[in-house]
Amino acid sequence: MSRIELKSLRKEFGSTVAVKSLDLQIEDGEFLVLVGPSGCGKTTTLRMLAGFEDPSDGEITMNGSIVNDLEPRDRDIGMVFQSHALFPHKYIYDNIEFGLRMKNVPEAERRKAVEDVAEMVHITPLLNKRPAQCSGGESQRVALARTLVTHPSTFLLDEPLSSLDAKLRRELRAEVDRLHTELKKTFIYVTHDQEEAMTLADRIVVMNEGEIEQEGSPMEIYSNPKSYFVADFFGSPSMNLLDGEVISKEGKAVFQHGQMEISVPDTYANLGSGKVTLGIRPEHVVVSTADGQIPETIDLVEPMGKDTLLYFEAEGERPFVVIVEGLILDDYKSGQQVQLTFPDDKVYFFDEAGQRIR
Amino acid sequence: MNKRTKKRIFESFRYSTLTIWLLIVAFPLFWIVSTSFKPDAEWFAWPPVYWSETPTLANYANVWTGKEEYADTQYIQSMQKPWVALGNSTLIAFISTTLAVFFGSLIAYGVSRYQMLSEARMFQLLMLRMVPPIVIVAPLSLHYSTLKLLDTHLGLILVYFLTTLPYAVWMTKSFIDEVPVEVEQAAEILGASKLRTIWEVVLPLVRSGLVATFLFILILTWSEYLLALILSKTEVVTLPIELSKYEGSTEGRVYGRQAALAVGITIPLIIIGLFISKHLARGFSFGMVRK
Ligand SMILES: Nc1ncnc2c1ncn2[C@@H]1O[C@H](COP(=O)(O)OP(=O)(O)O)[C@@H](O)[C@H]1O
Ligand SMILES: [Mg+2]
Repeated sequence: MSRIELKSLRKEFGSTVAVKSLDLQIEDGEFLVLVGPSGCGKTTTLRMLAGFEDPSDGEITMNGSIVNDLEPRDRDIGMVFQSHALFPHKYIYDNIEFGLRMKNVPEAERRKAVEDVAEMVHITPLLNKRPAQCSGGESQRVALARTLVTHPSTFLLDEPLSSLDAKLRRELRAEVDRLHTELKKTFIYVTHDQEEAMTLADRIVVMNEGEIEQEGSPMEIYSNPKSYFVADFFGSPSMNLLDGEVISKEGKAVFQHGQMEISVPDTYANLGSGKVTLGIRPEHVVVSTADGQIPETIDLVEPMGKDTLLYFEAEGERPFVVIVEGLILDDYKSGQQVQLTFPDDKVYFFDEAGQRIR
Repeated sequence: MNKRTKKRIFESFRYSTLTIWLLIVAFPLFWIVSTSFKPDAEWFAWPPVYWSETPTLANYANVWTGKEEYADTQYIQSMQKPWVALGNSTLIAFISTTLAVFFGSLIAYGVSRYQMLSEARMFQLLMLRMVPPIVIVAPLSLHYSTLKLLDTHLGLILVYFLTTLPYAVWMTKSFIDEVPVEVEQAAEILGASKLRTIWEVVLPLVRSGLVATFLFILILTWSEYLLALILSKTEVVTLPIELSKYEGSTEGRVYGRQAALAVGITIPLIIIGLFISKHLARGFSFGMVRK
C-alpha cells in the first residue's frame, strides 16, 4: 500500500514560486498524470516527491507517515528522468543491474532479474552496448528497465517520451500503459502533452502556474472543463473559442461574435449580459449545405484520412475549425457557403476571468 | 569563384598559417635539442651552427654524471647536483599537484552541485592568480622565515598547492558541470549512497578531466621559477633553479650544458604526456559526456 498525500505543498526558488499550494491524494495503483504547460511546476512537484527538492512548506506523506526528511533512496520510489540519465560509462547491462547491486542482491539473482526485465521491455539485444550506441527510444526503454528492476512501489516519470518522435511516442506510450496494467503499481506521470494525458491517465491533474486547475478522469476533464484554460488545453484540434458579447435582442439573449449571432440556449439563463467566450469542440459543430444557424464560407479543406478538417475565418488569431467524419472532398470545397449549427448541449460559456458559466 | 575553389584557398591559407606558427613555436625547442649535442666551440659560433657536424654527448655526460673529464670549461661542475634537483622537483611537484587536484575537485564539486561559492567568489578565486607572484613573494618570504619554512620541501609544496588551487577548482569544475545532475540523482534514487555515487558515477566520468588538470598543474609547478628562487634557493633546489645556475656570472654561459639539462627536465613531462594521451584528448576537449 502506498497512498501518497501532498498537503499544502509549496516550493519557492528565491522569488519565483514554482508550486503554490498543492493538495493531492494519490491512491495505490493509480495512474495519475500531472499535465500542464511548460513551467507550471510539474517537475518541481515530482522532484519534491522523489526527495531531490525540499518543500518550502507543506507535507508529503506516504502510507500515513511524513517523508519530507527521508532520503530519495529510502522512499521506495523509482524515477525515470526526461533526459534518460543513463550512466554513460556503463554498459546497458550494468546500467540496469546498478540498483540491484546497491541493494546487495546476490549476483545470480541479479543476472536473472536483468535478463527478465530486458525481455519485458524488449531490449535484450542492447545489453552489451553502451548508452551512446542507443537511440532515443532505446535509451528510454533502458531507463524504464533500470527502474522497473528494483520493484519500487511508486514510479515517477518526468516527460519520459517528450524527446521522441511522434510514432515512437505512441509506441512507448502503449508500452507504459501495458506496464502499469501488468505491475499494478502507482504511476505518477508528468507531461505537457494533453494526448498522452488523455490516453494514459486514470486521473488527470491539470496544473497551471503552480496550482491545480482541475482534476478528474480524462472524460470529465474533456467534457466538463472548469475553465477556459482547461478547455483550451485538451483536445486536438483544440476547442473553438470565440470572444464575444451577450446582448438582449427582442427579449432573447443572443451571443454576438463579429457578424455571427447565436441565440443563447435556454439552459444558460444566468448568463446575464456582457463579455463572454463561447467554446465548442470542432467535432461537435454540425455542418450542412442545406440549413443551419450560421452561414459561413469555407476557407480551407484539410483531408486527414479518416476525418476532414474545415477551416473558417474567424475574428482573433485562430481559425474556426470543424471536424467532419470521412473523406468528403466532393461535398465541400473552399470558398463554398455552408450552414453551421451549434447543438445547445455542446456549447460552453466562460466569463471574463476564464471561469466556466453554467 | 566557385565554392570549391574558395574552400581550397581558405584551406591552404589555414594550413600555411598553422605551419608558419608551428615553425615559430617549435624553433626554440629544436635549438635546445641541437645545442645540447654541440661541442663547446659551437655554442657561440657565428654564423650559427644549426646542427653540429660532430655531435657529442659530452654535455649530457657532464651535467648528469658530473664526471670530471667532461668538465672541460671554466664551469665548476662540482657545484651542480641535477639529480638532487630532479628528486626535489619530483617530490614537490607531484605532492603539491596531487593536493591541488584533490582539494580543487572537492571544492569544485561543492560549487557545481551545492553552489558552495557564489559566482563572484569563483572569480575572486581566479583573481588571486592574476596577482603577479612578485607581489606576494616578498611578504611571503617574511612569513616563511618566521615559520621556518624557507628552503624546505614543505614550504614549496605549500606555496605551489595554494597558488595552483584556483586553476584546479576552475578546471575540474568545468568537468563536473558536464556530468548531468540527473545522472547522479538516478544513482541515488536507485539506492546508492553519496560516496558510492561519486565513486561509481561521477569519478569515472570526470577521470579524463582530472588527469588533464593534473598534467596542466604539474607542468606549471614543474617549471615554476620565481617563487622557488626567493623561497628556496640554497638547500632545496628545484630543476628550474638548477637550470639558471648554468648562466651565472662566475661560471660563464655554458649553453650546451644548460641545454642538456633542459632536455632532461622536459623528457619526464613528455613521457607522462604520452602515457596519458588518451585522457588528454578527451579531457582537453571539455565535452566528454554527450547528452
Ligand atoms: N532549480 C531551480 N531554480 C530556480 N527556479 C527553478 C528551479 N527549478 C524550477 N524553477 C522554476 O520553477 C518553475 C516551475 O518549473 P518546473 O517545475 O520545472 O516546471 P515544468 O516541469 O512544469 O515545466 C519555473 O518557473 C522554473 O523556472
Ligand atoms: Mg519539467
